[in-house]
Formats: sequence, structure tokens, C-alpha cells
Amino acid sequence: MADENDIFDYLSKGGKFSAPGNAPPRYRAELLRMMASFVDSEMAGAAGFADRINDGPGVKERIAASRIVLEKLDHAGRVMKIMGDFGANADRYQTVHPWAARLGRDEDLGAKRRAGDMRLNVFHYPMTGWTDSVVLNVMMGSATVLQIGDFVRCSYQPLGAAYREILPRERRHAELGEEGLRNLAARGDASRREISDSVDYWWPRVAATFGAPNSERTALLKRFGLRHRSNEDLLEEWRSRMSVILSGAHKAWGAPC
Amino acid sequence: MSRFFPLTVTRIKRDTRDSVIVTLAPLAGAQSDFSFIQGQYLTFRRVFDGEEMRRSYSICAGVNDKTLRVGIKKTEGGWFSSWANEELKVGDRLEAMKPMGNFYSALRPDDARRYLGFAGGSGITPMISLIKTVLEAEPKSTFTLVYGNRSTHAIMFREELEDLKNVHMGRFNIVHILESEAADIELFSGRLDRDKCEQLFTKWITVADTDLAFICGPEPMMLAVADALKAHGMDEAAIKFELFASAQPGRARKKAATGDVASRAALCSATIILDGAARVVEIAKGGQSVLEAALAASIDAPFACKAGVCSTCRAKLVEGEVDMEANYALEDYEVERGYILTCQSRPTTDRIVVDYDQ
Repeated sequence: MADENDIFDYLSKGGKFSAPGNAPPRYRAELLRMMASFVDSEMAGAAGFADRINDGPGVKERIAASRIVLEKLDHAGRVMKIMGDFGANADRYQTVHPWAARLGRDEDLGAKRRAGDMRLNVFHYPMTGWTDSVVLNVMMGSATVLQIGDFVRCSYQPLGAAYREILPRERRHAELGEEGLRNLAARGDASRREISDSVDYWWPRVAATFGAPNSERTALLKRFGLRHRSNEDLLEEWRSRMSVILSGAHKAWGAPC
Repeated sequence: MSRFFPLTVTRIKRDTRDSVIVTLAPLAGAQSDFSFIQGQYLTFRRVFDGEEMRRSYSICAGVNDKTLRVGIKKTEGGWFSSWANEELKVGDRLEAMKPMGNFYSALRPDDARRYLGFAGGSGITPMISLIKTVLEAEPKSTFTLVYGNRSTHAIMFREELEDLKNVHMGRFNIVHILESEAADIELFSGRLDRDKCEQLFTKWITVADTDLAFICGPEPMMLAVADALKAHGMDEAAIKFELFASAQPGRARKKAATGDVASRAALCSATIILDGAARVVEIAKGGQSVLEAALAASIDAPFACKAGVCSTCRAKLVEGEVDMEANYALEDYEVERGYILTCQSRPTTDRIVVDYDQ
């Protein structure tokens, strides 16, 4: 019988598998952690945006926000179903944390997770209004697309397949945000100042979601074939994408922010 | 939930010298519990010398065959597979979880798809289910199986595969690769490794025409086949992997408590409170975790990862002491307040009270 090390060796060489029963405990723990973090982030993200729907200036914006909320919940449900294959009690799991709860705007959580709620810390901070929620959606949307893009190749195939379906829809969420951002930017100086303040506020918080450089956990996840790109690499790509998106929005209204 | 259901052995057919095909029937009225998707497996449990063993075996039947079969190949030192090959009898009762696994792709009855399957040894077992189901449900699709074995005698499902070839004339092809037998054509002897794949893909199989590939066998074979497929332009998403059953990590559990005096002294009486109701269960100290004991007593305790990561199984230890093996989820202040991860906690005192509601 092959032992755990054989399986880890297989995974590190690009091997994949599709049965929950094949997961050694350490792998299972990291996989569940990854899934829990995604599910909690989608649940918390959806709950936060749900509260902002009525702030939307018009029907079009409210539909976009509603769609984002709907689909993020659907994505959480899809991954929760995979957690269920590992014995998770999905009915209980979805009510285990107060997803809509937020902390103070100025609290500094750093990178440390809070009390078992596995959402990315960026989702613990409250949004202040429509512009702020659009800015967060643009910035975190772009980060999510990059992060899920890495998960698509994950060694647990059912999860990779689920992310492959989720990715284009998350990409659309980010695009809806960019569209909203251009519209807001075109409204004038006051709106642009608001955007700029929000960008400053969210920038370090979204950047922190990529994790620490030279992370030991990411190295482990790479060995398990659960991750492929480094935190630094993903963060760097996000930075350059953000500068394109934000300067694109600046150009749309013709003046620096 | 890890729930097990009874199955009755209705037929045992010796397939090769060291493998049997076991046909199973659910109890009357429980058939729907065992409806399955092609390529799924059953996880059995059985107690050997006081230790619970769990083993998974692929279902070797088409989804419309109205039968439930598993192929069990004897592995060296494998308790369950030896027992199944040597002692299991028609009429015996086995316990299995509902079918699980994701080694399949959704059927598309109107499409004409080309499937490639690669099986090494007992890696054929889920493939049988895929082949039968796909050929029946997708009348325009074709399936080519590359099947590696030591020798002709070791080929599982040999006759059945030949029959399938006749039933689905022209839609199902088999390429046997035999390690220790010299074939007339060199291509068909040797191991199913990277070089063999290269030869097959240049002379025999056009990877570019293939829609989906399924691989099940020993790890080195799976890696070699996947690498070769990718090198020939196949999209990674179109390649499905299943590690075969014997590669699974051991599932031996800690010994269950027996009824003698010494073990009784080592028992902890645990009161478990959930949804306002308190139940008392006995847990062997240093044996089962609080969560395992609760689940074994059919208490619907919440859990997800069982690895001390997700905190879904968090509860408050109101009385007594436990030893918590791993904790990646609770903060220090929570531990100070008495919170534990029940999946990681084993009682060390004669009595504990654990409250999931707090």
C-alpha cells in the first residue's frame, strides 16, 4: 500500500485525484481550509453587498449588485457541496457565522484570521456607501479573478472543475464594477475624490488577501498541487492590473484623480 | 455524514487468480440509496481484531445495469481484500456508505465524443462503469481503452471487455499492454510509461481527436500518461484522474473499547449538549475524539474538515479536561474560555460536559 509520502510525491509532480477518500489527512486539512476560506468569503461578500443594493443610483446598478450577490451565494453553495463530500454538514455550516457582520472601519486586523470565521479579512471591513462598494468590488473582484485563476489547476479535480465554472462569472462581476466605476468617475470632482479615498482605504486591505511573501503555507499548498503561483507573483499582477483599470477610469473622465 | 448501510452479497465470481467480482444487493426499499453515477465507488467498513477498517472499491457496472458490483483484487497485506477473496460468501452482509466519487463527466446523449481510458491493473474497475455507461448513453460516442497488465492471466474483466467489443462493434477498442509477455507487435508489450504513450500517440491513437481522457492506475503510470497527453496538446481540464483503491491511505481507527474492567476504568462519561438536548456517551480515554463519539452516537454534531482547521465543530468544554491534538482555528482567548475543537479533542478525565450551543 502506498503511504502518504507516495501520494505527496505524486501530487508534487502534477498528479491529481477525484475521490475524497484518496486525500491524506494533511492534504484534506489544507483543502478544506482553502474551501472554507472561499465559501466564507463569498458568503460574507454577498452579505455585505446585499446591504448595498438599495444604495445603487438606478435600476441598472441595483440589478448588477443583485446579480453579484446571487451569483456569489451560488458559488459558495457549489464549493460547500464539495465540502459536503468530505463530511461537512452544509446546512449547519451556512449558518455558523454571522456573514453580514462587520467590524469597525478603522480596526487593523492584519492578516490574522478571526475566531474560525475563515473569510478573507477584507470582508470584515464595512463599506460606507455605493461608491465605496463599487471600488471594493473592482479591486477585490480583480484579486478574486487572479486567485481563482490559480485554483482552477488545483489537484483536487472536482474543486478545479467548480472553479473553472465560477471564474468567468467572477470576471463578469469585476467588469460590472469597472463599468460602475467609470460611470461614477464621470460625475465630477466630488465623486472622483470619493473614489480616490476608497481606493486608498481598500488598497492595503485587498493587497493583504494575497498573503505574505515567502509564505510557508503557500509552499506547502504548492507541494500538494493546490496552488501553483506564488503570493508575490499574484500580487504583482494584481498591482499592474489595478493600475491599468484605475488609470483607464481616470482617462474616461479626462483628469487625474 | 459517514453513514453506512447494509448490503447483501448475492454473487461472488472469481475473475483472476487474485481477484473477485462481488455482486451486492441493498435491502428491500433501500435501492435508491445506492443509485450511482458512472465511475463512483463504495466505501466498506469492517472490524478486524477490534479495529475498524475502511476500504473503497469502484463500482464495476453501468448505471442502467440494475446491479451493484465491485471488483476486489487481493493486495499484499491487505486485510479487507484478502478476506473478500478468501472468506466472503454469498449471503454475507457488508456495510457501505452511499456511492461517492467524481471520476466522470456529465453524459451528453446527443454528442459524438471520443473517449480515451487508461487503466493499470485493478484501475480497470471504475473504467468498466464508464465504458458501459458511456457506450449505452451516448450512442454516437466511441471509447478506446489502453489497459496495462503484467500478463494475460492478470487481466481483470477480460471476457467482459471482449463481449463489450462485440456488443458495441466499432465504437469500443482495447489496446492491451502486457509487461511480461512478448507480443507480436513490440508496441503492445512492456510498461504503460511515458515512452509507451509516445509510441501509442504517434502510431495508434490521435490525441488531437480526443475529447476526454480518464486515467486510473498506479501513480507513476498516471503521471506518465497525463504528461504525454498534455505534451500532445490535450487540455488539462479534459483529463480525469482516479488514484486506484489500494493507493488510499490506511483507514485503521483507534481500537474500540472492549467491555473488560481495565478498559472500563479508561472510559469517560461525556455529556454532549446540542440544540438544547443533552446526551451521555461513553468515550475511551485517548481513543475516539469527542466529535467521533458524538457522531457514532448519532448526534448530529456540526463538523467540516475534521482536521482542526475550519472550527465548524467548535464547542465549549463546560466540565472536565481534554487533550486537543491540533488547533489551527481557535484563538488563544477562545481556548482560555474553554472552547475546544471537538474533532481534535480526546477526553482525559472520567467525566466531561461539552456544549455545542454556546
